[in-house]
Amino acid sequence: MSAPLTKVLIANRGEIAVRIIRACHEMGLKAVAVYSDCDRTAQHVRHADEAYAIGPNPPRDSYLRIDKILDVARASGADAVHPGYGFLAENPDFARACRDAGLIFVGPTPEAIDLMGSKTAARGVAMAAGVRVVPGTEEALGPDVAEAEVARVAAEVGYPLLIKAVSGGGGKGMRTVTDPGELPSALRAARSEALSAFGDPAVYIERLVVRPRHIEIQLLGDHYGTIVPFVERECSIQRRHQKVVEESPSLQVSAATRAALASAASAVARRVGYTNAGTIEFLLDQSGEFFFLEMNTRLQVEHPITELVTLTDLVHWQLRIAGGERLDLDPGQALVPHGHAIECRIYAEDPDHDFLPSPGRVTAMRVPAGPGIRRDDSGAVAGADVPVSYDPLIAKVSAWDVDRPMAIARMRRALGEYDVRGIKTTIPFFRWLLADPDFQAGRFDTSFIDSALAARAGRPFQEMPPEDEHVAIVTAAVHAITQKSRTADVPAAPAERNSRWMRYAREQGLR
Amino acid sequence: MELQIEIGGRIRALAVEVRDGQYRVTSDGETWLADVGIVDAATYSLIFPDRGHVSQEVGVADSGSNGDFSVHLASGVTTVRSLTGGGRFGGRGAQAAQAVGTQQVVAPMPGKVLRVLVKPGDQVKARQGLVVVEAMKMENELRSPKDGRVVSVPAIEGMSVEAGRLLVVVE
Repeated sequence: MSAPLTKVLIANRGEIAVRIIRACHEMGLKAVAVYSDCDRTAQHVRHADEAYAIGPNPPRDSYLRIDKILDVARASGADAVHPGYGFLAENPDFARACRDAGLIFVGPTPEAIDLMGSKTAARGVAMAAGVRVVPGTEEALGPDVAEAEVARVAAEVGYPLLIKAVSGGGGKGMRTVTDPGELPSALRAARSEALSAFGDPAVYIERLVVRPRHIEIQLLGDHYGTIVPFVERECSIQRRHQKVVEESPSLQVSAATRAALASAASAVARRVGYTNAGTIEFLLDQSGEFFFLEMNTRLQVEHPITELVTLTDLVHWQLRIAGGERLDLDPGQALVPHGHAIECRIYAEDPDHDFLPSPGRVTAMRVPAGPGIRRDDSGAVAGADVPVSYDPLIAKVSAWDVDRPMAIARMRRALGEYDVRGIKTTIPFFRWLLADPDFQAGRFDTSFIDSALAARAGRPFQEMPPEDEHVAIVTAAVHAITQKSRTADVPAAPAERNSRWMRYAREQGLR
Repeated sequence: MELQIEIGGRIRALAVEVRDGQYRVTSDGETWLADVGIVDAATYSLIFPDRGHVSQEVGVADSGSNGDFSVHLASGVTTVRSLTGGGRFGGRGAQAAQAVGTQQVVAPMPGKVLRVLVKPGDQVKARQGLVVVEAMKMENELRSPKDGRVVSVPAIEGMSVEAGRLLVVVE
């Protein structure tokens, strides 16, 4: 705990692995990557100081293989392991195996992960810390609990309600039930999804808070009992319980509510002796009252917006805390937002067809850059495949500016620059969302996207206006003729020889 | 040069003259003049000198081997089919008018069939779930494109499918 780190194994892939490798390099640490077969040339391998193959593409054969990852830690001489998010990040067995192998796990203790990873136990912790929770079942409903018994419990909690996976996260294994008739099929679906996603079919039931905001508090804890909570993140923009846009601060949170949220979050974290980075999620109702929802015992996808508005590098702090340093941030400053930040999660999904996954090869790409724009790319570049085996996140784009309207304007400018070809992405969906008057006015709750989508009834997000058709016609003519001359007996056009430089420049953010 | 393309569901004949990097494109009696800069193999910079020098960057993405490509503008994406010198009529163009006649529901991406919700002979409503395919860790329900009757169900639970694999036929 007191030995400073020298070499960190990153047990992850994609944008988060790259983001952690960058932090390691900024702090003078060596970074070790692991990769599955299809990730041989992925960005995280290319950025790392050392890289080791750990098996076939399915996560259970590679990124979830604790034994192989520990073998690599040994072989490489790493002294710490950063799990990122997803995969093994919230697996207490992994944290324990790291500790047993004499490695520093860059995260909380296995005991804290274990406790807070069970949603029912976590609710108990919150109540013991004096923090209100959403009414619901105190006990997990395992697969052996009959449907009739679940129906009885559901009636006690009251409709509308949510069925949620005990080991869940990311909206998987979760179903909304508005009346008892829907319960059987929702229960089956939740259990089957929970089993396949988390290996645990146990669920629990929670009252649905009507029109709530999803507000969360990022915090850091060191090994000397200091807990520092940060300015809240507003994560109400969700599609089927998956966050798609996050911002900080929230329009709905006053300074007094912020202080109350921060102190509730600290109380919960303190109760479990929490160390390293974690996030406590709350539901904020229309009256300003809030309820503990759950704790994520890891770095969050949306951590960059907190970094932007608090001028703090959370991954640096994760590594420093893991190395035994004292958390000496000014707690007052951590609760003062500097400007406003918004993040859009760009997914390889087709927004015009029910957001079906759209894996495949990116044929070309123009990425946004410029003032106030931060991009965390998963490594989707022209010529690269978005693998079918993993989360379809291709990039996170964050915009910062002095206030919310300016941050939105910046994000809209960036989304206008962003063009990914060859696969479908959610970029057109975000262009529509950020232009929406209700979004711009901050009039939304967690049901906003699902009801807005239902109201659109499948209307495409971006239809080319008729006045632009001539541009497409001219482009068609240019492309047909250019291609013909290219396939004819002509040496490669200079443009093609240039394209690697173009690509390089784009990757470096020079364009 | 004469070209024939299908764009926005319409077939258009184009007359194109190229001189010094400038394209003069005529279709339906209208002519557009464009100065064309080739940025890379899939990106062009267009300036319209006689229309206020409007500058637009456009991208293209070839889709498949049959001369189809998509054109990406800042305002949206449209698909273009080149009909010149290839004789590729019929096929998907004829099906573009949706949800009429026999409909084939195919896997839109590679994945695994988790559940089959219908059997041959079933009456189904438009947007009713037919099969659930798991891909990229999410369960995706594929829905009927029309009201009709299920004719055949090649999909089998547990089967791995590649993109384009026929799963259900509805008529």
